[in-house]
Amino acid sequence: MTNLYIRWGGVCVVAIVLIVLTYNHYRDNLANLAPRQVKQEAPAGDIRVLGMVQGGTLETHGAGEATFTLLGESASLQVQYEGPPPDNLRELKILILIGRWNAATQVFEARDIGIVPNYGFIAGAYLLGLLPLALLLFAMNRRVNFLYDEIKTSKLYEEE
Amino acid sequence: MTIHRVIRKVQRFEGWFGGGAVLCLVAGLYLGLIGSPPDYYQGEVVRIMYIHVPLAHTSLLGYTVLAVGSLWYLWKRDPIVDNMCQAVAALSAVFTALALGTGMIWGKPTWDTWWTWDARLTSFTVLLLILIGYLMLRTFVDDPEKEARYGAILAIVGFVDLPIIHFSVEWWRTLHQPQSISMRGVSISSGLLVPLLFMSVGMSLLFSYMLMVRTQLLYLDRLLHAKKGRLLSQFHLSKFDS
Repeated sequence: MTNLYIRWGGVCVVAIVLIVLTYNHYRDNLANLAPRQVKQEAPAGDIRVLGMVQGGTLETHGAGEATFTLLGESASLQVQYEGPPPDNLRELKILILIGRWNAATQVFEARDIGIVPNYGFIAGAYLLGLLPLALLLFAMNRRVNFLYDEIKTSKLYEEE
Repeated sequence: MTIHRVIRKVQRFEGWFGGGAVLCLVAGLYLGLIGSPPDYYQGEVVRIMYIHVPLAHTSLLGYTVLAVGSLWYLWKRDPIVDNMCQAVAALSAVFTALALGTGMIWGKPTWDTWWTWDARLTSFTVLLLILIGYLMLRTFVDDPEKEARYGAILAIVGFVDLPIIHFSVEWWRTLHQPQSISMRGVSISSGLLVPLLFMSVGMSLLFSYMLMVRTQLLYLDRLLHAKKGRLLSQFHLSKFDS
């Protein structure tokens, strides 16, 4: 029985290492700021802001330039976009904008647009796919060990 | 060489199957979650493919083993093969249910719905119902010989669903995407293909390992019950004698 727990302990360690590596890989993508946080904290450098393009505010100026208002829960930001021609920029669309906050002009200068990643769906699918299999296998391994012990130790076992 | 000798020989390498499964799955998970690029259209959510597709492939492989084992049982009436069939049916049912579950999770962000009565999804659900029916049949029939025979016949008849599942995306206009890997070639990039192959091999090895463990479990369970039953009847006979 001890060997079984050692083996499964190893599997748990490997699983934890994978989870930590994956979380670290996507941590930057998960760190999105809301428009209210941008206005309050005025962070320097490149940041990612999550919000919805307010209806009636989108104005395009050529292929890769646009201005619009990004709406958060309790605040909004004026955005000036200059970058690759965006495929997914439209009104009422929830987006992630990558760029810098200009505190002097109070305008967010975006240079790239990303879609909102569905990490919840990915994590859910992997948990649903792997966790029941691991639990089932562990339960079966334990039961097999138990049955071997039962047969060997009880009077039922007869040496051939 | 009889089939149960083959099974016994393969079971000696049980640990290799388990170890190989862990190695392939760890490599596949690392490449799939961290190493591979996001898809141009689906973005990051394409990573669900690395768990959903191997689960679905393995469940079909499991049912094929069940159908072949059932044919073998009807021919040779080998109880060890019947034992393996019972084990493989339960595992295939679990893998099929998980493939459907992960597919539903993938469907929500890509099709904007958890479920649709698409030909592929429906035929796959029929497979799950056949497997559940098989397991119920094996539970409710009292005579072990009849239980095994009826089960084998049901499994062979149910095999007709497998080609329907396979060709459903070609025979009907479905929401489900067509096969990316077929006799006509491979239509996905190597960046996505490599983790998918690792996960598929890993999942097949895991299924084989689980099948060996479950076959042992059922065998030991029956052995224990048989020995207990024999002792019980000897005890009762001795009571009658006295």
